[in-house]
Amino acid sequence: MTTGADTERLFPEGEIRTVSGGAAQPARFVPGQPDMWVFVFFEALVFTAYFTVYIVSRSRSPDLFLKSQAHLNLRVGVFNTLVLLASSWAVARSVQAARERSFRSALTNAFLTLFFGFVFLVSKVLEWAAEIGQGFTFTTDEFFSFYYFLTAIHFIHLLIGFIVLTVAVYQLWSPARRSQEVIETCATYWHTIDFLWVLIFALLYVMR
Amino acid sequence: MSASAMGNVPEEPPGSLLRRIAWHWRYDEKRELWIGWWTLVVFYNLYGLLFFVITRTQPPPEPSLGSSEVVEWFADRRHGLVYGYAIVFIVGGATAIMNATLAYSMRRMSVSRAFAYSYLVIYALATLPGMLIMGVACTVGAMRPDRDPELMRWLYDFAFLSFEGTMGVFLVGSLVWMLAVLLDENGVFPKWFGYLNLCNALTEVVVAPAWIFKSGAFAWNGTIAWWINMGVFVTYTIVFLTLLRRMILREDFGTGPLPDLSPGRAPAPSGLLKAAR
Repeated sequence: MTTGADTERLFPEGEIRTVSGGAAQPARFVPGQPDMWVFVFFEALVFTAYFTVYIVSRSRSPDLFLKSQAHLNLRVGVFNTLVLLASSWAVARSVQAARERSFRSALTNAFLTLFFGFVFLVSKVLEWAAEIGQGFTFTTDEFFSFYYFLTAIHFIHLLIGFIVLTVAVYQLWSPARRSQEVIETCATYWHTIDFLWVLIFALLYVMR
Repeated sequence: MSASAMGNVPEEPPGSLLRRIAWHWRYDEKRELWIGWWTLVVFYNLYGLLFFVITRTQPPPEPSLGSSEVVEWFADRRHGLVYGYAIVFIVGGATAIMNATLAYSMRRMSVSRAFAYSYLVIYALATLPGMLIMGVACTVGAMRPDRDPELMRWLYDFAFLSFEGTMGVFLVGSLVWMLAVLLDENGVFPKWFGYLNLCNALTEVVVAPAWIFKSGAFAWNGTIAWWINMGVFVTYTIVFLTLLRRMILREDFGTGPLPDLSPGRAPAPSGLLKAAR
């Protein structure tokens, strides 16, 4: 039985626990499987290493990097960033809706996330095609080597993200499944893609 | 537990390491698993010693060396290459025991046996690009120093590109292990190890540009294609060796979930000891 001061919270695996208002403790749990956070931490470390190599290379040939960077389309970069941020927003809404057991809304937002992810994918492929069309390829110079490398390794993460989101949709689809923990784990992966892109965008398109 | 309570299986004797090893050899029903695990530990240490110290082929040399420099490179380390790779060829078969131990972890999981079989086949193939092709190419270069320098340079490229640039088998192997860990319901490995397999697989992708570049971060000796990749691989190897050891300690030779290894508590007696009681 809950009192007026008590609140209900949906914990992973759909378990609702009552948190007493009088003895309220701040919520202390990580979303999804803690195991996924090992992946986030490790990938953050690996990408930090890639970014460090990029920055060191850039500091050795600043003029070359600036000159080549000017050939990137900043507007497309901003568009891609906004699209991925929108996808992160949609997946966060999906998780929130699932916590509130509004599974229809959660499913809609999961599909919206997939849609934004797909828009990013198409936009990125078109951007690459346009750059290759202008003669800027993987071997053009050091800047473009890093540009294609960082965006391509991120792209592979994005492709895996579609599989991960499909798992979330599969979970949300049937009342027999709907593991909150799995849904949050999938969302954590998707946020990681967004987080990495924001850093890649800042380094490749914005940093002067 | 007294010896009498355990039937004719005596307690593990305290004291000297040799006596304890003899006891385990005689009575420990996990003997084969421990042999497999120790083979992994010894092999990886030996692998490091042979490649980094004796043959001096790792960290990899410059990919952009000219023909005369390549001839010098082979001449400089001739004995190291010949004797080092001779040992590699002798101990190379140990990979069968290692792969079997890794595949055993998948057989102990609740997943289909297809995972263990796929892993065995993939890693049997991985022995070729993982060490044997490079060993053969370097040994030929060291044993035939009188050949045309252009041929020597071809051998040099063949050795390092086969070693550094062919990571597809390792990538798929890591993904197989990842899927097995994530689908497993027996708790053989923690789920984070499944995700770590994905991290390892993703770093296998980044060596592909080594085929294109002869200098810089993406060349076969580059910061991204080699150093970061090696850092991830070493971390991954230490982690899976630790987890395999823990799996063997927890092994109860059943088919359900692996029992936990509570701190300060010995693992549950295994089948042989139970049977002896």
